[in-house]
Amino acid sequence: MVDGVKYEQDLRKGVLVLAVLSQLRSSQYGYSLRQALAERGMPIEEGTLYPLLRRLEAQGLLESEWQVDGGPPRRYYVVSAAGSALFASLTDSWGALASVMDRLLEGTD
Amino acid sequence: MNPDALIETYVGDVVRHLPRSQRNDVAFELRSLLAEELQGRSADSGREPDAWLATQLLTEFGRPVDVADRYRPAGFTVIRPSEAPRFARIALGGVVLQWILTLVATFSTPSELEWPSLLGAWWLSWGLGSFWWPGFLVTLSLIAGFVQSRREAAGEWMLTRGVVRDRDHVRRPLIVLYIALGVVGASIVTSVPSIALWGAGLPGPVVEAFALEGEFVSTRAPWVLVLWAVTLAVGIAVLVAGRWTPITRRISAALSIAWLALLLWWVAAGPIFTQQYADEVTKICLVLVAVIVAVDAVVAFQRGRAAVIHSPVA
Repeated sequence: MVDGVKYEQDLRKGVLVLAVLSQLRSSQYGYSLRQALAERGMPIEEGTLYPLLRRLEAQGLLESEWQVDGGPPRRYYVVSAAGSALFASLTDSWGALASVMDRLLEGTD
Repeated sequence: MNPDALIETYVGDVVRHLPRSQRNDVAFELRSLLAEELQGRSADSGREPDAWLATQLLTEFGRPVDVADRYRPAGFTVIRPSEAPRFARIALGGVVLQWILTLVATFSTPSELEWPSLLGAWWLSWGLGSFWWPGFLVTLSLIAGFVQSRREAAGEWMLTRGVVRDRDHVRRPLIVLYIALGVVGASIVTSVPSIALWGAGLPGPVVEAFALEGEFVSTRAPWVLVLWAVTLAVGIAVLVAGRWTPITRRISAALSIAWLALLLWWVAAGPIFTQQYADEVTKICLVLVAVIVAVDAVVAFQRGRAAVIHSPVA
């Protein structure tokens, strides 16, 4: 039997980076980012999101710093210049892709 | 159990799989995030952040080794999915071939030992020793994977003239050279058994070093003449045609397998030279030649198969 959940996960994986970059135009730490994404209808598993932030930072797409605001120390992430450029590029690509998919899916429901 | 202790153990299990330079930083952040996740779940569920909630959180977070993998950048592929079945066939086929040949050689050689002792001795020598072949292939794959990843990082792949060249076309001068070298090599090797006759002027130790075992000369050696004759015939056929054909490719692949079997038989079925040192050095060389022949057999087989692509509706 076809595993629909897996296909949906694969679909979400494709837009994960774009979703994360969209929410890090202002700085956030891991937990608050996950909450923000979940509230906007894009829940991402913790075990996927937190390592992803580190990988994006290692690729120069995010910048981070530790902050202490009266609570426990937290690592805040924000998009770098390279991340902003990639975000703009991916946003354009997403727009084009969504438009193509809309056309492809027309009449299939 | 204390939920903080559970998180601490889990974080330790994750960072254990990371490079030392990252461990401290990742552990500090991960510990902090997991603690916040736990607090969040506690607030949502209206229960204290206990061991049950912590266990649920960590279970959903994933196996520590999987989480550690996600922290690491993508590595390079050692064996591509498209090549995995072929790799498995070549690796296991090589082991099985060695086992068959060496088992036959072990049990066909007269011995005073009982069969369980012979089998045990075989297992501790050739049985386990045959696994050098998969190890050798994995080492080659590691090198190839590393080189490929560097190439892919350096630039995009482009279709070039080199890629679409006619692989079956041969350069006749090279084939002539190949045949000539083969004939010269065969002449030298076949003259070794009679070194005592023609090498009268050579120093005594040299003549003794090249003295062949009688059993080798009478039983194992003659087969080389048959293989040389067929190899020579294939070389001439390719020379005349000016290109490899599916048939000559297939014969070449079969010949390579025959050469491989013969070389392994020579090595496994007893001494070749009467002098132990000469015998050992020769066998090491023969094993190296066997490796080259094995690689050549695989290449020839693949090219032969690629050359014969039939229409599915024929």
